[in-house]
Amino acid sequence: MPNAEGGQREAAAPPRKTLIVLAGFALAGVVFAGVSSYDFIAHLDRQVHAITCSIVPGIGPKDASGASGCHAVLMSPYSSVLRELTWGGIPIALPALGVFAFLLFRAIDLLWRKRLLRRETQFMIAAAALPVLTSIIYAIISATQIGTFCKVCVGIYVASLGVFAAAIVAHVRAGAAEADPSGKSSSLGLWAFYFVEGVALVALPVLLYLVLKPAYADSLLRTSGLRHPEDKYGVMLDTRGGGQVPAIEVLDPLCPACKSFSERLAASGLGEQLQVKYVLFPLDKECNWMVNESLHAGSCAVSEALLCAGERANAVLSWAFANQDDLRARGGGSQSAVYARIKQVFPELAGCVGQPAVRARVNKSLRWIVANSLPVLTPQLFVRNQKVPDEDTDLGLDFVLSRVLAQGAAAEVRR
Amino acid sequence: MNADRRHMILGLVAFFSVGISVATWTRAAAVRLAETQGKAPEVATASASDMGYCTGELKVILRRVLTSCGLAAGPGSRGCQPLQARQVASMSGGDFNALFAPLSERAAIIEFDKDSAELDAAGADLLERTFSDRRGASYFFVVSRASPEGSVEHNRDLSHRRGSAVLDHIRAKFQDPDIEQEVGLLWLGEEFAQLDQQFCQWRRSRAEGECTSADLNRSSFIAWIDCRL
Repeated sequence: MPNAEGGQREAAAPPRKTLIVLAGFALAGVVFAGVSSYDFIAHLDRQVHAITCSIVPGIGPKDASGASGCHAVLMSPYSSVLRELTWGGIPIALPALGVFAFLLFRAIDLLWRKRLLRRETQFMIAAAALPVLTSIIYAIISATQIGTFCKVCVGIYVASLGVFAAAIVAHVRAGAAEADPSGKSSSLGLWAFYFVEGVALVALPVLLYLVLKPAYADSLLRTSGLRHPEDKYGVMLDTRGGGQVPAIEVLDPLCPACKSFSERLAASGLGEQLQVKYVLFPLDKECNWMVNESLHAGSCAVSEALLCAGERANAVLSWAFANQDDLRARGGGSQSAVYARIKQVFPELAGCVGQPAVRARVNKSLRWIVANSLPVLTPQLFVRNQKVPDEDTDLGLDFVLSRVLAQGAAAEVRR
Repeated sequence: MNADRRHMILGLVAFFSVGISVATWTRAAAVRLAETQGKAPEVATASASDMGYCTGELKVILRRVLTSCGLAAGPGSRGCQPLQARQVASMSGGDFNALFAPLSERAAIIEFDKDSAELDAAGADLLERTFSDRRGASYFFVVSRASPEGSVEHNRDLSHRRGSAVLDHIRAKFQDPDIEQEVGLLWLGEEFAQLDQQFCQWRRSRAEGECTSADLNRSSFIAWIDCRL
């Protein structure tokens, strides 16, 4: 290792308070990135888990309902990368954990030094710029694409900024004491060594994750198809998607998971290959006898609007997805409040919603669900009459759907 | 402590801390996945409703009615006329009507003019509202009657036409491809299971008007049955 303390004549005593602050922010980053990684990795068992969503991890209850911004971000297509290559992809929090661990390690290392060189703090600034840059990008994604912020992520953003600011202050203080006249080559050598250390500390958790994560068994894809996929009741909504592969999605227009699923499908790019038809499955006791309590109050009325809309169903669905919270709140009060809102936004549907004929169509949609003995949950996706396992419609969607599409394409080639 | 050694020790601590944490979390997920594989998910399966009133006795009658009086029962079997209905039910008229007592919230009585099988607007409206409020029910019963005026044969025919009018309206309005499998049609004329005054409290298409025994029986009694057979 290049000896960073070799040029003691050019160095100043380290600004300990600043380095302690820097280490504190780096430790906070380790904790937030660790919590986020833990929550993501827990989902590799394909089950549903409560996740941490607190600015002080460990304080306050975990989010088991999926209503928090942390859940929305975790389940969004932006929480991991390379999703088509491995189930769930590589969580972005994992390299973040490595980066913050490295920054903490560097801060403690500097803290124990008798002398501090400017080239040390210069590297620290460069290293701290990475999480800041990533935080800015992810904050923009959260605001513009996901529409919500996760508290744990905000913790990471704050830790990133804190580390960066502390690194700048440490650099200024180190420089103010004494200039560093050391040669350029030795600085590069030192930086290269630290860079390799940093890369190794980022690569380690990623490699361990990839090596130790459970393999996806192809047997999980051998799911039963629909017994009666035909639309004998005329209740399927044809989205006129641009793809060639026939698919049926069972959804509730006011179900947050369906909205997220739709966004994930669009973001994956795989949805473009599908010719999706929707079957409505409102989990609202107003029309659905299979639920004792309305999970998504108001969705019966919105389902009627979708069936009434005909070719404009996509526009109504987009509106329903965008206004889920408002519509569910109205539905929790009374069904008529949802009808009123629908008629206000889509006056052309006023003569159709709430009428016996369309109520009977919603009922037929539910009977299609019964005829196929489907589980009482949404969303569900069937591609070429093969079900995408329910456990794979969130983090595993890209990986599993790409395999389903590939299997189907291979089967067609064999024919 | 030598700076290089301290650096190395700190580095190892960082590597091991991160490595052990990630390895532990990932293996724990893999173990949980292995434990849950092969287990059926704890999610309810969609099914038709089966309400508490669906007693064994009611199901027996239902099965008999649908077998003998259902529209899909076979060639020429287009519902049950009074004698068949009595045989199918194997019970008195009062007991037969009592079977429907739990359906007071689900049933409706579509009333007709005297000696008429023509659905009026109020009757059609109540019929549509009742039929569209199917929920999870599997079977729809249409039990038509006639008041005792006129001959037995005429009333038998009249109640048959009333039942057919109800059925034709449902077919025209709802285009339900399963209608043959879900409707049980009985026409009882004046001979079997006449409705008594207690049914005046039920939903009627002429709720505003008088409710005599004759009014009640110039009718088609309709109800969705929330029973699985």
